[in-house]
Amino acid sequence: MTESSVSSQLIIIVDTNPVWWGQADTGESGQNQMSLAQCLECLMVFSNSHLMMSHRNKLAVIAAHTDKSIFLYPKKDQGGTSAINISEEADQGDGKYELFGLVNNQIKNQARELVINGGSSLLYPDTVLAGALAMALCYIHRSEKEVGPGEQLSSRVLIIKGSEDNPEQYMNLMNAVFTAQKQNIVVDACVLDNDSGLLQQACDITGGIYLKIPQVSGLLQYLLWIFLPDPTERHKLTLPPKAQVDYRAACFCHRNLIDIGYQSSIPSFVA
Amino acid sequence: MGDEDEKGYRWETEYEKTWEVIEEDDDGTIQSSVDDIIHKAKRRRLMEKLGNIRLGMMRHLFLVIDLSDAMKDQDLKPTRLASTLKLLEHFVEEYFDQNPISQLGIITTRNKRAEKVAELGGNPRRHITTLQSLVNKTCQGEPSLQNSLDLANQTLRHMPSHASREVLVVLGSLTSCDPGDISETIQLLKDNNVRCSIIGLAAEVRVCKRICQETNGKYFVILDEGHYKDLLISHVTPPPATSTTESSLIKMGFPHHSLSGDKNKGEKASMCMCHLDSKVNQGFSSSGYFCPQCKSKYCELPIECKSCGLTLVSAPHLARSYHHLFPLETFMETPVSSIPTDSAVCCFSCQIAVEDPNVYQCGRCQQLYCLDCDLFIHETLHSCPGCACSRETQESSQQFVGLT
Amino acid sequence: MAGLSAVAKKTLDCKDLHSYLKTLPPDILDNLYNHPATCLAVFRELPELSKHYVMRMLFVEQAVSQTVIALWVTNKHQDLICFSEHKTSARVLSELRVWQEQSVVGDLPGWTLSPTFRQNMRVALLGGERAWIGGGALVPDKHAKDIPFLDKYALERWECVLHFMVGSSEGTDGVGNDIIDVLLHSGLMKSEPNEPLPSITPAGFQFLLMDTSSQVWYFMLQYLETLESREMDLTQCLSFLFQLSFSTLGKDYSTDGMTEQQLRFLQHLREFGLVYQRKRKAMRYYPSRLAVNLASGVTSLNTDTNQQGYLMVETNYRVYAYTDSPLKVALVALFCEMLYRFPNMAVGNLSRESVREALVRGIPAEQIISFLRSHAHPKMLKQKPVLPPTITDQIRLWEMERDRFKFTDGVLYSQFNSQSDFELLRDYAKDLDVLTWENPSKRVMVVSRSGHDDVRRFWIRQRQSNN
Repeated sequence: MTESSVSSQLIIIVDTNPVWWGQADTGESGQNQMSLAQCLECLMVFSNSHLMMSHRNKLAVIAAHTDKSIFLYPKKDQGGTSAINISEEADQGDGKYELFGLVNNQIKNQARELVINGGSSLLYPDTVLAGALAMALCYIHRSEKEVGPGEQLSSRVLIIKGSEDNPEQYMNLMNAVFTAQKQNIVVDACVLDNDSGLLQQACDITGGIYLKIPQVSGLLQYLLWIFLPDPTERHKLTLPPKAQVDYRAACFCHRNLIDIGYQSSIPSFVA
Repeated sequence: MGDEDEKGYRWETEYEKTWEVIEEDDDGTIQSSVDDIIHKAKRRRLMEKLGNIRLGMMRHLFLVIDLSDAMKDQDLKPTRLASTLKLLEHFVEEYFDQNPISQLGIITTRNKRAEKVAELGGNPRRHITTLQSLVNKTCQGEPSLQNSLDLANQTLRHMPSHASREVLVVLGSLTSCDPGDISETIQLLKDNNVRCSIIGLAAEVRVCKRICQETNGKYFVILDEGHYKDLLISHVTPPPATSTTESSLIKMGFPHHSLSGDKNKGEKASMCMCHLDSKVNQGFSSSGYFCPQCKSKYCELPIECKSCGLTLVSAPHLARSYHHLFPLETFMETPVSSIPTDSAVCCFSCQIAVEDPNVYQCGRCQQLYCLDCDLFIHETLHSCPGCACSRETQESSQQFVGLT
Repeated sequence: MAGLSAVAKKTLDCKDLHSYLKTLPPDILDNLYNHPATCLAVFRELPELSKHYVMRMLFVEQAVSQTVIALWVTNKHQDLICFSEHKTSARVLSELRVWQEQSVVGDLPGWTLSPTFRQNMRVALLGGERAWIGGGALVPDKHAKDIPFLDKYALERWECVLHFMVGSSEGTDGVGNDIIDVLLHSGLMKSEPNEPLPSITPAGFQFLLMDTSSQVWYFMLQYLETLESREMDLTQCLSFLFQLSFSTLGKDYSTDGMTEQQLRFLQHLREFGLVYQRKRKAMRYYPSRLAVNLASGVTSLNTDTNQQGYLMVETNYRVYAYTDSPLKVALVALFCEMLYRFPNMAVGNLSRESVREALVRGIPAEQIISFLRSHAHPKMLKQKPVLPPTITDQIRLWEMERDRFKFTDGVLYSQFNSQSDFELLRDYAKDLDVLTWENPSKRVMVVSRSGHDDVRRFWIRQRQSNN
């Protein structure tokens, strides 16, 4: 079969951490003049653009919240109506003008629901990214199984993140990253604020692009310029060079980054 | 192992009525029974995994490859040797993928002799080229188990006691031509704590069984090529540590990777230590990994620093083996009907509406998964999306880490 | 699959969207961009790089210098391929008038997106502006139709056309004059003076073997060409067609706000099976899969998604067609010798004679192969390659067999007086590399036409000097 039967699937993981977005909105963290709503607008235009690139392109959006992750798009298969839902989902590959509206509405509704109902009593400044990534991988695993014979699906993940790293997630995140590497899934990261060592490693291992954007207000342009091209086309375009990656391990007791550590020979961890 | 011995051989046991398992369902088809069997086979591999036991993470393994006449046999296509080498290549890749800080060596045996074709080392590419070069060797004469085991033992003896010492023999021949008493060699292996496992390509041989029993290894005879592959893969996961291996801390370095030397720091291009001896131009650049202790430069990891002896690894290398230490608990099988919900049950991670009669529930985060995700999570991902999503469960996993 | 498109171009000239639009005059093209659906359709058919250029310039109001755009592509010296790709991408954009040349500050050559295109792309992407034609809300249809119904309907309609072409008696009464006009115009069928019904041409056979989406696309192209003779406006029809291709399957649309011409066009589409309308005067219509697939089937000749493959091909040259449709069996019979017929399947044999017969009819080997491949049974699709190589090779070989003769014009030289004369002339011709054939024992030789003058002059000179 020709390469045209390869469809490209994009999974966007967006950080919806209320603490970070709250700070960003009130302008406490300096130059970030952007609200979650604006970010979602950018994200929707970006996802429309992805769907517009080819009628075969597929999309999923996951929100990583402070202590849970949910799918913003597509919605869960609901019982009873599942037959229609599934057939709709199958058609979404065709990508239509109306589809854009459908996608945007769904993202908006789900995000609203998340913001209203998602507030747990305790708020943390970091986000559970590993869980969202793990969900994305499971979703990709499923959709790769569902493609018909003779078709191919190439998937990638884009993480849009503002909040801090959670070093406790290191192990879960690394497990997910290695899985992505094994499945040939590229992980890209677009970081709004704090440089993330974990994501740098994730992108480096899977061959994705890591970018901390200098100006948050220009998010859409960065997304369209750098993250829209598929990995297969990237070599043709001039894109930012690979950054230096900090590959030091974090110690199990203090989570400090270390140069020389002691590895236990039997159950291995670094102390 | 003990259980298996008592069970004896298949032909000594009572007649198995395999057809009795298969029952017709209401429609008179056997589809549901067949589905059930397939389903059980899928889950079986997961069930077999053992929980939290002490594993030997630093492994020193010698592969012994039979190059005797028997390897010319064509019962594996195209020949036993070609098929073996192909599978071993895959094995070597997986081995280093799963055991990043371990070492591997290769010994061949033919014409009553044993020859070491690759020293113990941690570079998968070197071993794979060695394996590829073996394809052209002619298989000759008889193998010698004793000679090869002795040769392996000579090197393994000197390995530090905190590391596991292992030999894996791939034996096509049914005979072995040994210079002395093999029981002495077995005793020697036992004394040195060398675990010896054998994969037979033909039929069960008494002496092989003895070696494995005595040294705590595993002995299997392949059924077909698929089984052969499974057996090799089963040797990829680290074996439980024996009680005599002492546990100790090993000093390791985590080198920085500098891409292009910062000009203002005055760094210059230099030769890396790994390509120092070779004549090729490779390895001369300003980028590389620098040993944090003595600042020698290497172009790939993991490696043992040639000048100060520090083991250099990168954090992801270590992380790759974490999942052996903290294996994910098996999910509970629950029938869909028992879940109180008004709509269809959806898999937590892939959102699919579950149509199978069973869903799988994680014991910690209580999330539900479909069978496919359950398998994917346990075999590839090694962490539960539900637990990773929620702060509570994630923290409890961290405490769990602390306890070990 | 590339083979099919190449072949189709060679013999049937099935244009893709890009080459079709290129043939349109610039003002029509600009008019077309007034509708977001057209912009979307055009955008999707652009080369990958061009798509990125458009996306990058979509929110830039000024012209961008050409050198800057060239810098967007990796500029390594060894990467000449990338650079030539950049050239083609830029050329396509200019040809389709998506962007126009405009000098930037400092008189450097630059490009700027066509304002209408930019505007309507943004509308497609971000929303706003007025809704698409017939986008108004509708009360729920009490005769609502589901997707399987629409698929069945569309397929039936389309097969009517194909049935008509092969001249089978089934359901041909539904074929109206419009369809016959298009078929005649496109040369797929021709009317004989003493026959009441037109008959199929070699091009028609090739058409039959194309997959459905290409058939529809080819047919629509031909239809659009006949528009002028019907006094209909191309722009209106084309933008409606594109909008149709971006609509949702299984959803109903209102005919409100459609112009007179578009309503007429709708009736034609209804006849082809591209839309379903319950009654002629009904205020709503459902686009069928044929219409929705139009945008996707323009260049990518992928397997029909709406119908499963039904052909099994075995290495022993047997072809099993799991179908009860006489049309499908008739298609297979175009190049197969049919052996058995069962209620749900038919068995045929690919033989030298049967394939040659097809070749004589003007069906190229590549088309037979791609037909077999695109209609392969799902079980066949699982294996790689889909078709047994022995079969594909043999079909190609049978085609090559027919090309064993090569015709070269030449001049025969005979009746030499002596062997030495013959050899002299033959060697001269050989040196000039114009000798085609010789037979020394009979003293005859053939010289190619281009070499004839030289050889004759030499011979005359030779004779004169001898005398």
